[in-house]
Amino acid sequence: MNSTAHSEYREMLASYALTALDARELRAVAAHLESCTDCRAELVQWQETAGLLAFAAQPVEPSPEVRSHILQEVNRAGAKERRMDQAGPKVTAMRPARKTVLQAWPSWQALAASLAFLALCLTLLIQWRENSRNRQELARLSNQIQHTNRQISYDRELIAILSLPGSRRAQLSGTDVAPGARATIAYDPTGRAILLATGLPPAATGKAYQLWFIVGKQPLPGKLFKPLASGEAFLNDQVPAAAFDAAVFAVTLEPESGVRVPTGELYLSSAG
Amino acid sequence: MHPEQAQISDSSLLKAVAAGDEAALALLYDRYRLILFGLLTRILNSRAEAEDVLQELFLQVWRRACDFDDRRGRPFTWLVTLARSRAIDRLRLLASRDRLVVSAAQDIRETTSDAVTDTLHAEQMEIVNRALAKLTEEQREVLLLAYLDGMTQSEIAAKLNAPLGTVKTRMRSGMIKLRELLGESLKFRSSHSG
Repeated sequence: MNSTAHSEYREMLASYALTALDARELRAVAAHLESCTDCRAELVQWQETAGLLAFAAQPVEPSPEVRSHILQEVNRAGAKERRMDQAGPKVTAMRPARKTVLQAWPSWQALAASLAFLALCLTLLIQWRENSRNRQELARLSNQIQHTNRQISYDRELIAILSLPGSRRAQLSGTDVAPGARATIAYDPTGRAILLATGLPPAATGKAYQLWFIVGKQPLPGKLFKPLASGEAFLNDQVPAAAFDAAVFAVTLEPESGVRVPTGELYLSSAG
Repeated sequence: MHPEQAQISDSSLLKAVAAGDEAALALLYDRYRLILFGLLTRILNSRAEAEDVLQELFLQVWRRACDFDDRRGRPFTWLVTLARSRAIDRLRLLASRDRLVVSAAQDIRETTSDAVTDTLHAEQMEIVNRALAKLTEEQREVLLLAYLDGMTQSEIAAKLNAPLGTVKTRMRSGMIKLRELLGESLKFRSSHSG
C-alpha cells in the first residue's frame, strides 16, 4: 500500500465526515475506505465530532402534530414492517452472498408458484381455445404470466448482479407522498444496474418516474419508467461512473419526456 | 419525562425500537426532538419543510433501527447524521426546483424554545458552543458552512472568495481542534452504551 497516498486519505477523513469533499475526492476516499479498516475506525471518531456540530443550531420545538403523525403512521406500518424485516436481510453489507440473496427474495417461492401456474395455464389454454367468450380471460392470464416472467427475469438479473464481487446495493424508501413505496437498486462493477420498486402510485398521463443519481450536490439523470398497475416497477439502467462510489439514489415524478434536473415531487430516496 | 425513563440508554432505546417497541420510539423522539428539529430548521430555513423531514426521519428510524450498529458510533450521532443527510437532500431538491423557502426565519425565532428542558442537552450545548468559540472565526465559519449549510469545500471557497487550499486547511485544523477540545467528555468508545 502506498503510504503517502494513505496519509493523504487520512487527512481528508475529517472533511469526509462533514460531507464537504468535492465529488472526485469524495469518490477516492469512499473507495479507500472500502479496504482500510484503520481509516474506517478513524472516520467513526470524526463522525462523532461532526455530529456534535448539531448543537451549534438553536434547539426548536416542533408542532405536537408531528409526534402524533409519526406514532399514527408507526402504528399502522408497525405490524407489517416487523413481518417484512423479519423476512429479509439487513441492508448495510454489500458483500455478495448467494445464500442471503436467496433467503431475502421471496420470489423464489413466486418462481415455484409461477411454474405451477404456467402449467395450469397451459392446460386451460387447450380447453379454452375454441371458446371466444373466454378470449378476454386468456388475455388477462397471459398478461399475468408476462408480468410474472418479467419479475422472474428481473430477479434473476438481480441475483446475477449481486453475485459479482464489488457489486453494490442500496435501498430506497418512500417519502411522505408515497410512504408505502420501496425500491432496491443493485449494480455491478461496470455500473450495470437494476432497479426494483414496489408500492408506487400510478404515473398520471403525460408523466413518468425518473431515476436520479445524486453525487455531491449534482443530480445526474437516469431513465424514465412507469409502474405496472400492481405498483411494481422494473428498470435496467447504467450508473454513471461519478455516482458509482457515493451517491444518493432518488426517484421523482416528471413529465414523461424527462428532465435534466429534478422538477417534480420526490417519491423515493436512498438518503440516510 | 419520568426520571427512570431518562436512565434508559440510547442504545437500549434503539434496540427496543428495532424490536417493534413504539413507546421506545416515542421516548427517543421526546429526548431528541429539540436538537433534531433545531438542526433541521437551521438547515432548511423552513418550519414546514423541517417538520416533513422530522417525520420522515422518525419513520426511517422505525424501519431501520435494526441497521444501527453500536460499534460504529453513538446512537445520537446516527440520528443526527440521518437527519442532516435528509435535510441536505431536501435542500438540494428545493434549490433545483427554485423554491427555496426563505421567509420562515421569523416564525422560527418566535417559536424557539427559550429553555432546553433536558439538562443533559443544555450541558452538551454549552460544551460544544464553548469549544466552537475557541476556534478562530475562519475555522468556525468553514465548519458551520459545511455542516449547517451542506456546502462542499469548493462552494465554501467560492462563497468566501478564498483559495481552496486555505479552506481545506481551515476545515482540517478546525476539526482537529474541535476534536481535541471535545475529546474526553464526549468521546466515543465502542463499549459506550449511552
